[in-house]
Amino acid sequence: MKLIIDNLSKTYSNGIKALQNISLEIPQGMFGLLGPNGAGKSTLMRTIATLQEADQGSIFLDDIDVLNQKNELRQVLGYLPQQFGLYPKISAEVLLNHFAVLKGISEKGERNDLVKALLQKTNLYDVRKQNLSGYSGGMKQRFGIAQALLNNPKLLIVDEPTAGLDPVERNRFYNVLSELGERTVVILSTHIVDDVKELCTNMAIINQGQVSLKGNPLKIIEELKGKVYKKTIEKSELESYRQHYQVISEKLFLGQPTIHIISDVNPGNGFSLINAELEDVYFAQIFNQNTNLKTIS
Amino acid sequence: MWYNIFKFEIQYRIRRADTYVFFLFLFLFSIVGVDFVFQGVDLGVLKKNSPIVVAKAMGAITGIFMILASMIMGVSVLRDFEYEIASLMFSTPIRKKDYLMGRFLGSFAILVIVFSGVFFGLMLGEFMPWHKPDDLLPFNILTYLSAFVQVTLPILFFGAALFFVSGTLSRKLVVVYTQGIIFFVMFMLTKAITNDTIQAILDPFSLTTLTLITDAWTPSEKCIQSIPFIGLLLINKLVWITLGLIILFYGYKKFNLSSVKKGQPKSKRVQTLDAGKSYDSRLIKVPNTKVQTSIAGKWKQLRHFSWFYFVSIFKQPSFWGIVICGMIIILINSVNLGTVYGVDSYPATYFIVEELQETSIYFFIIIMVFYSGELMWKERGAKLNLIYDATGMSSFMNVLGKYIGLNLIYIVLMLALILSGVIFQTLNGYYNYEFQVYFYGFFLEILPFLALYTCLSFFVQALVNHKFIGIMIVTVVFILIVFLGVLGFNHNLYLFGGSSLGSYSDMNGYGDFLKPYLFIKTYWMLFGILLLVISSLLLVRGMETQLLRRIKMIRHKVSTRLMKFSSGVTIAFIILGSFIFYNTNVLNIYWTDADAVDFRIAYEKTLKKFEYIPQPKLVDVYMKLELYPELRHYVAEGQYILKNATDHVIKEVHIQKQIESNTTLDNVTFEGGSTPNNTYKTYDYVIYELQNALQPGDSVKMNFKQTYRTRGFQHDASNENIVENGTFFNNNDFPSIGYNKKYELNDSDDRADNNLPKRLNKASREDYNELGIARSGSDSDGIQLEMIVGTHKDQTAIVPGNLLRQWTENDRNYFHYKTDQTIINFYAVVSGEYITKKGIWTPSSSIDINPVNLEIYYHEGHDYNVDRMMTSMQSSLAYFSKNFGPYQYEHLRIMEFPRYAQFAQSFPGTVPFSESIGFILDIDDHTDVDMAFYVTAHEIAHQWFGMQVEAANVKGKHFILETLSQYAAVMVLKHYYSEDKVLQFLEFQKETYKDGQVREQFEEPSLALVENQEYVYYAKGVINMYEFQKVVGEQQVNLAIKQFIRDWNTTDGLLKTKTYRYATTKDLLSYFRDIVPEDQQHIVSDLFEE
Repeated sequence: MKLIIDNLSKTYSNGIKALQNISLEIPQGMFGLLGPNGAGKSTLMRTIATLQEADQGSIFLDDIDVLNQKNELRQVLGYLPQQFGLYPKISAEVLLNHFAVLKGISEKGERNDLVKALLQKTNLYDVRKQNLSGYSGGMKQRFGIAQALLNNPKLLIVDEPTAGLDPVERNRFYNVLSELGERTVVILSTHIVDDVKELCTNMAIINQGQVSLKGNPLKIIEELKGKVYKKTIEKSELESYRQHYQVISEKLFLGQPTIHIISDVNPGNGFSLINAELEDVYFAQIFNQNTNLKTIS
Repeated sequence: MWYNIFKFEIQYRIRRADTYVFFLFLFLFSIVGVDFVFQGVDLGVLKKNSPIVVAKAMGAITGIFMILASMIMGVSVLRDFEYEIASLMFSTPIRKKDYLMGRFLGSFAILVIVFSGVFFGLMLGEFMPWHKPDDLLPFNILTYLSAFVQVTLPILFFGAALFFVSGTLSRKLVVVYTQGIIFFVMFMLTKAITNDTIQAILDPFSLTTLTLITDAWTPSEKCIQSIPFIGLLLINKLVWITLGLIILFYGYKKFNLSSVKKGQPKSKRVQTLDAGKSYDSRLIKVPNTKVQTSIAGKWKQLRHFSWFYFVSIFKQPSFWGIVICGMIIILINSVNLGTVYGVDSYPATYFIVEELQETSIYFFIIIMVFYSGELMWKERGAKLNLIYDATGMSSFMNVLGKYIGLNLIYIVLMLALILSGVIFQTLNGYYNYEFQVYFYGFFLEILPFLALYTCLSFFVQALVNHKFIGIMIVTVVFILIVFLGVLGFNHNLYLFGGSSLGSYSDMNGYGDFLKPYLFIKTYWMLFGILLLVISSLLLVRGMETQLLRRIKMIRHKVSTRLMKFSSGVTIAFIILGSFIFYNTNVLNIYWTDADAVDFRIAYEKTLKKFEYIPQPKLVDVYMKLELYPELRHYVAEGQYILKNATDHVIKEVHIQKQIESNTTLDNVTFEGGSTPNNTYKTYDYVIYELQNALQPGDSVKMNFKQTYRTRGFQHDASNENIVENGTFFNNNDFPSIGYNKKYELNDSDDRADNNLPKRLNKASREDYNELGIARSGSDSDGIQLEMIVGTHKDQTAIVPGNLLRQWTENDRNYFHYKTDQTIINFYAVVSGEYITKKGIWTPSSSIDINPVNLEIYYHEGHDYNVDRMMTSMQSSLAYFSKNFGPYQYEHLRIMEFPRYAQFAQSFPGTVPFSESIGFILDIDDHTDVDMAFYVTAHEIAHQWFGMQVEAANVKGKHFILETLSQYAAVMVLKHYYSEDKVLQFLEFQKETYKDGQVREQFEEPSLALVENQEYVYYAKGVINMYEFQKVVGEQQVNLAIKQFIRDWNTTDGLLKTKTYRYATTKDLLSYFRDIVPEDQQHIVSDLFEE
């Protein structure tokens, strides 16, 4: 089971190049698609999910030609969109049941068992009779995952599922997601680095419609080992540091700017070497397109 | 501060496309507004731009499109909640007063701008080329401006206030969509108020108000006078404006500047499940399920979808609002059913059904238009569309589910309406519920109509992909289709939905009209299914919204199974269409309206020259008529004896066959031989050149065989006279002699357009030719009639004459009738399954005639008023025989016929009587005039005025025939009941007369010169005759009439036998003058010649 995206491009009618020659090979397991807002993640996700046309390129899930065999793909697809609503006056149980029918699980007994199991799995079973209007953001996302799993998908696409969730909710959500990679291709798009770090075995960073980095997170971090340095500076000095160093991130720490830089050699000048984090990789990609870390695999 | 909000609101709306769409829509609609509102209404003296017409059109259009006001006003505050910026808004230091006032005034300003489309549209409409200069007054902008200010603005304000407040307080979009219906309900409720003044004050759209305040005006005042903004209209407007202000105030008090809706209990929110028991997700095994794509699976899916979408609407309070309103309206509104001269009928189920259909159709259309929009947008409205779209669900199954769900909703409303109808019947003590009639009325008539338009509505929604615009387009398309039908583009094969099912009759059910109706509905339903298939393929799935792209993507969407299915449907559609075409255009001849007009023009232009050529007259008719009602078929073998009553030698006889493709005329032979000249065969007009010319005074026998055969079905309702039960047609269907004026083009505009001379409704009293004719196409000065009629074994056939013999042969019933005296050449053939009520009238000893056998042939169950009719027959015969001269026949028969026509008509000794006008009247002797009695008396009077004395076919003819019958009937009413009942009856007549005056396009004629104006010869006639006998005395008047009959009796009148011509009002009035004292002579002129 493998998803192969080859040379996929999409330009919107207003001229925005949402996808530019994207090529990715996504194996079974969790795949993180990391990128800032507006990078083209959702466009890519929707294209894979048969909801959008591409201008060129191809997507194959094994031998299913996604762009042309939409119906075939949909049979094995689970999709959780970035934003979605729910019918407010319906209970989770009823709506999930409805989705189950929608996906073609028409045997009633089978469907009831399935709905029950998924509600338990997503920890919504105790509130299954409640109207969805009362659900919190996290419950809603878990419900979203439950519906995506109804047809036992081979390809699961989860678009920014943790945006807006508090840490507790996010953890609960991770728990639901974590076991799915065993038999399934799971693509998780996010702009939150921790999501990828905690869940994914493979990842790609996508920015301005292009894949700027892809690979195994650990290996990617390995590449930066011994190259990331940190220093806390004065606000007024920021500009000059930017000119002299390859600054990949600027953060405030207790009100003071703290910068991370990349350097192959120790820069001295009060910089201290730190353990590279995935976040550093990400910022390196986003803030600094000149970096030589183009592809690591 | 409020001004900023006001400005913002306007700027926001100005940038929105829907503002322009709404305006444009109203503007375009209003261009045809007057024509639409007054479609089918005879404006009479009024012009297309008379102030009252403009004001009413303005009121009606405002009313119809009040829903737009709801869409504009309702969303004003709601928008902030919809876009979830309410909390942002309300956290600013903004005052409630400023916020609401700014929003309200801003939206209201936009609303007025949008509705100014009506003002501009109506004005422009005046200049549309289809209006004739005669139909218009000189353009006056004030007419429109004052109507807009007086009629539209105040109610717009009220609507704005109501919709603004309800939208603001409910914060529900669906309330906004459906609250327009509240207005409609209010309007209907005011219609149910019996007090005119209160109704006028409360009518939101001022239609009743305008009628009432102009009631006392003369027709010419109504035509030109502008509407004064005083009195009732002013009060009406003040009432609604005040109500609007009260609502606004209420809304202001109730509104709370907080984003959380007040009254929404916190407890409704689900507590996050920290405390609840938690499942270890790893331990839960998700069963492996199979996705089913089999047909059986799809079927289960479809059932689920249908139910799901049905429930989603069913649970909405707005739907229940509609249901309850519908039921209430019927209960209030259906108090006047089948009313004849102010007397209501029994609440027979078909009356109830028709009433329910009439009032509820708006509700159904509103549900159809709005909920189809709602359903098509349901997923997107809830932002669930991406989840739906990425599943393996077939779009078609989904659309079909929505479709079925919506149809189930219609059914719920129908059942509710049926329930309310049954309640109404029960409350009125009528227990013969006839559920099958309810079933037919809703499930055969309304449901297919809705089902078809729902397909269309779904299709439009899928195509335009914009809910509001979709709703508007559906409305426009709907109106357009109605208009196309009116304009004559009406073939069932291309006019969407086909025609409606004809009336239901107790006697004949839906008759033979049901079968073609079902074929045509099935044909369109197949088309509808194709529309649904296309809708499902066009429907946005995913992110692509551009129509062209969606069309391109269809190939990805259509599955083999769907392809096969639609091919099957298409083939069935084509086959059924061909079958219908074969019936309507091959088996039968399809006439477009234009074809028919052209034919009539050509007929007149070609044959008019023969109108008054010397032709023999019919003196004897012998006929063997075999009726096959079950086949709607007959064969008539007839023999005419034609006599040359002129001074000329007649060499050719002109025979006109009935122009009707189902009728064939064969074997026309003349005694002594003849040669047919087929020059005018196109017009079914054949000239037979006689071998032996007919000398003055000579007679010739003519034989013929006429067949009427119903083949398949026609594109429109076919012949309603020859039906399964209740056949009723008259001798005009049989061959007639010479030019038939009835085939001429009648409409005066059409005539002018085609350079035909103006057609007089009646010739002048000096017209030599017409003075010698008693009726158009009478062909005779009296005949002997002998007929043998065979019919179905369950039926009785009745024609004029004494029944000589009755027998059964070949499992059919036969009746042999023969007249024992000369009758006018006007006889009807009636056949039906009847119960017979028999009676006898024995004349008093002073009158030297035999007893008369009385018979009423009626439909089983219609016995409510048979006794009243029988009493009327006896009282009438007694009064008329005593006062006007003896009754001429030994029998008098009344035969009920289906309600396809709504009249009773006198033929010699026989009176066919429609089932709708007397048999099922619910007469309360305390409050009502016994109209069954009255109508019977009127028809029996025709046995004198019409059968004994005929009138020349010139102006004033109907005074002699109808006015005198009215007078005679009123006298019987007076003697049997009371003077009070007569006065009550005359009150109705005064109203009818006044209505008629308003509608009169030309000058109102005097009674003596009346043409075809019913309001003159019926209503004014009876009023003035009553006045006349009051002044000169009943006995005197009767004496004058008696002498008139004596002298002008068609067969043996003292004067009639000395002249070729028939009597005119000049003759009649001279008898009237004789009985009036010298000093009062003027009253004859006053009453009858003014």
